[in-house]
Amino acid sequence: MSDKIGVYVCECGPNIADKVDIKKILAEISALNEPPEKIIIAKKHKLLCSKEGQDFLADEITKNELTHLVIAACSPRDHDITFMNVCKKTDLNPYLYKLVNIREHCAWIIPDKDEATEKAIQYIRAGISRVTYQAPLTEKELDSIPDVLVIGAGIAGIEASLSLAGENRKVYLVEKTSSIGGKVTRFEKILPHQGTNLDIIQEKIQAVQENENIKVFTETEVEKAIGFFGNFEIILKNIHNEEQKNDFKVGAVVVATGFDLTDPEKIPRYGYGKIEDIYTSMEIEESNSKTGKILLKSGKPPKSAALIHCVGREEKGYCSRVCCNYMFKIAQYLKEKIPAIKITEFYQDLCLPNKADQEFFIDTKNKGVDFIRFKDIAVRQKDKEKFIEYTKMDGKKEKISAEMIILAPAIEPAEGSKDIAELLNISLDETGFFQEAHQKLNPVATSIDGVYIIGSAQNPKDISDSIIDAQAVGGKILTQLIPGVKLVPEVTVSEISDAFCTGCQTCLSVCSYGAIYFDEDRNISIVNEAICRGCGNCVASCPSGAAHAKHFTSAQIYQEVLEAIR
Amino acid sequence: MKEQFTPKIVGFLCNWCSYAGADLAGAAKLKIMPSLTVIRVMCSSRIDPNLVLTTLLLGADGILIAGCHPGDCHYEKGNYYARRRFALLKKVIKTLKIDPERLQLSWVSASEGKRYAEVVNQFTEKIKKLGPNPIQTKPYL
Ligand SMILES: Cc1cc2nc3c(=O)[nH]c(=O)nc-3n(C[C@H](O)[C@H](O)[C@H](O)COP(=O)(O)OP(=O)(O)OC[C@H]3O[C@@H](n4cnc5c(N)ncnc54)[C@H](O)[C@@H]3O)c2cc1C
Ligand code: SF4
Ligand code: SF4
Ligand code: SF4
Ligand code: FES
Repeated sequence: MSDKIGVYVCECGPNIADKVDIKKILAEISALNEPPEKIIIAKKHKLLCSKEGQDFLADEITKNELTHLVIAACSPRDHDITFMNVCKKTDLNPYLYKLVNIREHCAWIIPDKDEATEKAIQYIRAGISRVTYQAPLTEKELDSIPDVLVIGAGIAGIEASLSLAGENRKVYLVEKTSSIGGKVTRFEKILPHQGTNLDIIQEKIQAVQENENIKVFTETEVEKAIGFFGNFEIILKNIHNEEQKNDFKVGAVVVATGFDLTDPEKIPRYGYGKIEDIYTSMEIEESNSKTGKILLKSGKPPKSAALIHCVGREEKGYCSRVCCNYMFKIAQYLKEKIPAIKITEFYQDLCLPNKADQEFFIDTKNKGVDFIRFKDIAVRQKDKEKFIEYTKMDGKKEKISAEMIILAPAIEPAEGSKDIAELLNISLDETGFFQEAHQKLNPVATSIDGVYIIGSAQNPKDISDSIIDAQAVGGKILTQLIPGVKLVPEVTVSEISDAFCTGCQTCLSVCSYGAIYFDEDRNISIVNEAICRGCGNCVASCPSGAAHAKHFTSAQIYQEVLEAIR
Repeated sequence: MKEQFTPKIVGFLCNWCSYAGADLAGAAKLKIMPSLTVIRVMCSSRIDPNLVLTTLLLGADGILIAGCHPGDCHYEKGNYYARRRFALLKKVIKTLKIDPERLQLSWVSASEGKRYAEVVNQFTEKIKKLGPNPIQTKPYL
């Protein structure tokens, strides 16, 4: 069969028409006509992307029974999709068309009209050569499952479940401990407004339990999660009874596994675990919320307390963001319960990121709490008395004694985060928290489509920031995973030809998306087309030339290269 | 007068950053020397060593690979792979008696139209100084 290639040069108003000699282009391109094998029809148009231009193209394709289409116009970043859609209205496969950018890459950057014309001809020739090497591709549609798995039932996971569950969408909420709510259920009060008690949290917990579209699994962990956006197969296992499993399918996975506090025993200078009456902030919160009291081991209320911020900050290399605020809260608990107590807070830097924080800090200070900024700090015991020895910012060394010492250990990612990352094929960053798709622009997404990270699993966060994340992920999933709507996965993906693949698995190791799996029986690697994004990295890594990037094959690229160096 | 040497340069640009940067250079009507021909690929990591070597052996006077800045690759880590392959290629090219300066890797973001123009113009000047690629064998394809 002969190729019948239509080449249409767009004037783009004066944008292209004024800068290149379109008449000359058409003449030279028409001269490439080699009937009967290669028939070239070359024409120009004023404004191809306009409605009228699109109709003209569709008409030309049909009327001339074109086998291939080349459009010389603007950047594919502007109108590739426009013209692909024109093809879709005709019998021409949209992957048998090529947009050649003679505007941004010729007309607009080469002032000399003759030079620009020559360059445009070169690009169009490359486009013609390439297009005949292109292959038709078909978009497939996949059923998607609207249900969602949420891992971790802290405030982030709870809020996400509440925003997602609905008439057409089930949420599976998995929690490894025996109850839901996470860390916040262990506090007596929530800062900054001391008036806020835990009722609002309890209301949310109750709403989850009453929601028939949310299925809660406690004392449960995820054992397996395989698949892709719209279709993940999940297996859950009961922690105490490995035999007790649940399996189901979901379309998206939300990781809300939260945080743990770093173990202060690992930093010996604070004396934790060795010296009596040194507690972590969480221990104080817990005993306070259980008993309503904060007491020394002897059962007596402390006459003095030292609250040390930033424990482990240097070791971890990041600020934990929430400690300053909750340490003010703890100071206020103490002042309320033991009005005569002397409290000193030791900090390296103060972190007051929210609009109410400054006021809360000043309020705490006004209640008679002393603040000391330190460079170095250590806790020592001498004859049953505890001393905090510290170096001030001016270099002076000083010490004070305190009956009770409360530490704010660094917030670190929850134990088991690494396993979750491996399970879902996402990464942890250098701090150990889950790595987001983009720190600034896409903080709740990950490198894997359909897998999201929210709350303090992503970064130390307070409750409101965790809720913001949960609502953000709600927005993302509700708009992307719509019940009944089919998914159209990327078409220009990679494929591996089994005849050439030696099973070396190099491609597996370079793919950021885990899109390639190894077939042990056949000793070859196989691309999962639903996951592949078509970057082409595996293609470049394959030592045997077995991997190909559809629509960006080497043969296609060489056609462009050959014209470039003619 | 000696005939002026017009080099033939191939520019492999990743779709998401560098190609967009080139578009921006165009939209800003920056003046760019016409020796470089742009070939769009989805990611700098698509550029396999074979493609680079063959292009040089076919007689290209220079090859520019341009991708997103480290950390910004649309596909996470593609440009890190491109960088590693590039480092290796530089060495291989030397053994072919081709000046490794004929191969350049640059990071150009979608907002760096001006940088794109500078990179292309400077690279073109450099290749002009180096003169034609001594290897003009036309190997297999
Ligand atoms: C002492 C202290 C006081 C604080 N006071 C305040 C305050 O007053 N106001 C405020 O805004 N913030 C406060 N914070 C911060 C607050 O605790 C966090 O913002 C909040 O807990 C974050 O919620 P989360 O859901 O991200 O994580 P978490 O509360 O840690 O919840 C994560 C949940 O996931 C579960 N989980 C973990 N791994 C798995 C797994 N693999 N499988 C299944 N489940 C898993 C955990 O058991 C847990 O239930 C305080 C923090 C501390 C340490
Ligand atoms: S198709 Fe592109 S080049 Fe043609 S008029 Fe539209 S914007 Fe301009
Ligand atoms: S790198 Fe190539 S040869 Fe090796 S497993 Fe992948 S496709 Fe097969
Ligand atoms: S093209 Fe990219 S995403 Fe697809 S399998 Fe290869 S490396 Fe993975
Ligand atoms: S997408 Fe630009 S380098 Fe990977």
